[in-house]
Amino acid sequence: MQQEVVLAMLAKEPSQGHQLRARLDRALGPLGEGVNAGQIYVTLGRLEKAGLVAREGSSAARADWKVYALTPAGQERVAEWLAEVDWPRPDLAEFHLKLVAAAQAGLADPLGIVDAQRGELLHRLREVERAAMAEPDGSDAGLLLEGILLRLQADLRWLEACERAWTSRRRKR
Amino acid sequence: MNQPSEILVRARGLRRDYGRGESLVRAVDDVDLEVAAGEALAVMGPSGCGKSTLLHLLGGLDRPGAGELWLGDQRVDKLSERALAELRCHRIGFVFQAFHLMDELTAQENVELPALLAGRSPRRARRRAEELLDQAGVADRARHLPGRLSGGQRQRVAIARALANDPQILLADEPTGNLDSAAALDVLRLFEALHQGGLTLVIVTHDDRIAGTADRLVSMRDGALVGERRLTGGARGSLAQFAGLRGE
Amino acid sequence: MGRAFLVCRLAARDVRHHLAEAVLLVVAIAAATATLTMALALDGVTSQPYQQTRNATRGPDLVVYITSPSQAAALIHARGVVASSGPFPVASATIEADGRTGGLFAEGRSEAPAAVDQPDVTAGSWVRPGGVVLERTFAQALDVGVGAGVTISGRRFTVVGIAVTAAQAPYPNLCYLTTNTCGNLQTDGFGSEQLGVAWTTEADARALASATVPLDDFALNLKLQDPADAPAFAAEHTPAPGPIISSPADQPELVISTWEGIAAADALLVQDAQSVLIPGSLLLALLAVASVAVLVGRRLSEYARRVGLLKAVGGTPALVAATFLVENVALAVSAAVVGLAAGRLIAPLLTDPGAALIGAPAAPSLSALKAAEVLGVALVVALAATLVPAIRAARASTVRSLAEIGRQPRRGAVLIRLSRRLPVPMLFGLRLVARRPRRALLSTANMAVTVTGLVVVVAFHTSVAKRLSTAGLGPTAGGLSDPVINRDLQMLGVLTVMLVTLALLNAVFTTWAMVADAQRASAVLRALGARARQVSLGLVVAQVVAALPGTLAGVGLGILAFRAAVSDGGTPSVLWLVLTVLGSLAAVAALTAVPARLGARRSIADALASEAA
Repeated sequence: MQQEVVLAMLAKEPSQGHQLRARLDRALGPLGEGVNAGQIYVTLGRLEKAGLVAREGSSAARADWKVYALTPAGQERVAEWLAEVDWPRPDLAEFHLKLVAAAQAGLADPLGIVDAQRGELLHRLREVERAAMAEPDGSDAGLLLEGILLRLQADLRWLEACERAWTSRRRKR
Repeated sequence: MNQPSEILVRARGLRRDYGRGESLVRAVDDVDLEVAAGEALAVMGPSGCGKSTLLHLLGGLDRPGAGELWLGDQRVDKLSERALAELRCHRIGFVFQAFHLMDELTAQENVELPALLAGRSPRRARRRAEELLDQAGVADRARHLPGRLSGGQRQRVAIARALANDPQILLADEPTGNLDSAAALDVLRLFEALHQGGLTLVIVTHDDRIAGTADRLVSMRDGALVGERRLTGGARGSLAQFAGLRGE
Repeated sequence: MGRAFLVCRLAARDVRHHLAEAVLLVVAIAAATATLTMALALDGVTSQPYQQTRNATRGPDLVVYITSPSQAAALIHARGVVASSGPFPVASATIEADGRTGGLFAEGRSEAPAAVDQPDVTAGSWVRPGGVVLERTFAQALDVGVGAGVTISGRRFTVVGIAVTAAQAPYPNLCYLTTNTCGNLQTDGFGSEQLGVAWTTEADARALASATVPLDDFALNLKLQDPADAPAFAAEHTPAPGPIISSPADQPELVISTWEGIAAADALLVQDAQSVLIPGSLLLALLAVASVAVLVGRRLSEYARRVGLLKAVGGTPALVAATFLVENVALAVSAAVVGLAAGRLIAPLLTDPGAALIGAPAAPSLSALKAAEVLGVALVVALAATLVPAIRAARASTVRSLAEIGRQPRRGAVLIRLSRRLPVPMLFGLRLVARRPRRALLSTANMAVTVTGLVVVVAFHTSVAKRLSTAGLGPTAGGLSDPVINRDLQMLGVLTVMLVTLALLNAVFTTWAMVADAQRASAVLRALGARARQVSLGLVVAQVVAALPGTLAGVGLGILAFRAAVSDGGTPSVLWLVLTVLGSLAAVAALTAVPARLGARRSIADALASEAA
């Protein structure tokens, strides 16, 4: 979980840790299971040390009753983060090199590797699709799931292209 | 939810050729296939691989050149045209990519049609049609002509029509092929609900997303089945991982 | 250049794509132009042959029948007469040939050609002793040719020639102009349809006279300075303008016929024919035009979508219009050529003015002007078929035209409600009709046209049969065949064949188009589990439902059209009308069932796939 996400969730209003968690859950839907509560408090602690968030009020006994708010530095950081255009990079090169290496060294059949990979992706696709079907229309999580679906489809299409290419290479040999 | 032991469809050495001599095309080449009752099977492959022809053979819309085809305990590849019509009417539901609704009938009349063909009374046919349209989420479109419906709505009406006589098996040919992503999801939801209700589904497609409703996936190339994959069992990893939410 | 190529290619592809329809359109236009060709060719068909014959035979301006040769001199030297021949003795005789008998008006002639009225020998040679030359229509009625032996008043003669003349009203109207000989022959009991003209040598003619039938007629042919003076000359020289029909007891001294009178008698031959032919061809033309209209109407609805497609790929309205124009003009011109050729071939059958006249035109005069008229009509049809889609191309939005396929009016709620309680085939059929009222309307119109044609044919047959029975002559009366009746029957035959052919084409087209339209619906229905027979039955129901009002309208229209065309037209019997209606509906059902059954043989998957493409 990126620090900036937690930071940005605080931008709305000063909140307690469990409130942050509820907000994340709403946005992520079934994917929220991947976010555990402890992780949020660890992150908040780190952010506090970095001076990006500050605790309001002084003496809450339990961690989840503490109210956190953004410091001006924190607000600046959120603004920067929103403006960033970084994009998670799909690591296709690694898979590609895996195929090349397997073929050159004769270690494994590239087509077998492609097939196994497709199986895995199809399983993922099925799970994501089922999760998407379970979401009500117009939910935030549904939109996220659709994005995952589309990426998986793109990957599957690339695997198809790999299969075609390696099949024809094998024939030529 | 499945009883994999009970085989509903069994094909042995199924073959269908088009043309002859030089231009002979083996659209379906020696296909062996079994579909268990309650199973959802996806047949995938590039366009022109013969998957639609296979579906037409399974549904009695076309006759195989060779091979055997069983539906339950009944051998159907040698049936008369009339008996095949009976079969299509009572035991098989068909859904097409192009919907193939009758333009001159309203949504509801389209859904009533198979029930009326089966000899049901008009009143029962109408009630059943209303039920099915409601289930498909297009009850409010019952009185529209197909021309007035969106693609997704048309396909849902078509699915409702395919279910009018409570078939044992639903055959769908690229059911999401003409639909956008949202409409496709609606159709997949409908299929999933039917599947959960115990209906046997065979879906021919080149859309990977169909995998979401399928228990099993067979791949087809040049008229032959080349691979099979069981999709029940789940992926290695969680949803959150696929979304990149959890570190590796 | 590229654009012209594209236009031609688009037009050619469309014709190929809708080949059957294009062929039908050509046939319909061809039928219309053929009819028109015949109608135009008929124009003036009688006057010209008579004139031709008159020129070829040095036809007289006046023919005078006198009782004694001595009367001749005064007439020959009368004022205004410039040439003459005769007087020739005329004997009344009987002729027997091969079991057929007739009365003969035998004129004795010199073997040398006469200055006035030298009959034109169309076969064999001129008279010689013992050799008789028969007038052509009479020879046809007797069914004898050159070289045949005949018995004339008990004497054997050989037919040495066949000839035509302008000096006699031809068989069977010989006695349209009364002469002594006619009187004699009629007292012998011969009807006018049994009397004919023949030429022998003068000696032979005199020899034919007997004590019972004396020689009391001589023919004198006169040529005047000015042929137009003929009536005045006749009036001046006829002693007592007695009654037109005289009894033998009251014999006038001389009978003068003018060339105009003979021409009118000649025309009688063709008048009857015209009374059949003109309304007949009018009806044919109407039918052909109606079926063309129906066909064009159908094409228009198809064009509506093509307009959208062409515009969607960047075709300008002008291009769209040019494409349709090229296509329709090509079809119309080829149809007009076929029609002209067919008309030329058929016209002589109908318009042959009879053997009596030389001018019997092998092909009725068809001037370039008339051909152009026919072509013009075809082009007008083509332009009409182009105009509407062209306007639409210019005005309709591309999207609207493309959506034309999906646009169906929702009407016919009554039919739908009615259909709810019916078995599936009828339900299917009725709904097909109810949801596609425009298509159904075309079927109805087509059927109305078809049945109109059939009713007219039936009415025609009834009317001709009536005429034959009132005339009291079968073709076998007296052993001679009456050329008038023969020609009427022949013409009726040709017209019937044409009308029935058009009607059949119409019916075939209507049903075929309907089945083709419903192809996808049929395939879907079969995919849903309908049996082939249920589907066929449904199509038959749809077709019959659409055809029924058309059939009834056709009966009414047919009777009206026939009454308008034939003034003395009776109505065909109710029995016949009922038979026509039932027969047409049965034919429609059968014609629908055939393509429907053929379509059912096709695999459903194929039918669905081809439709989707």
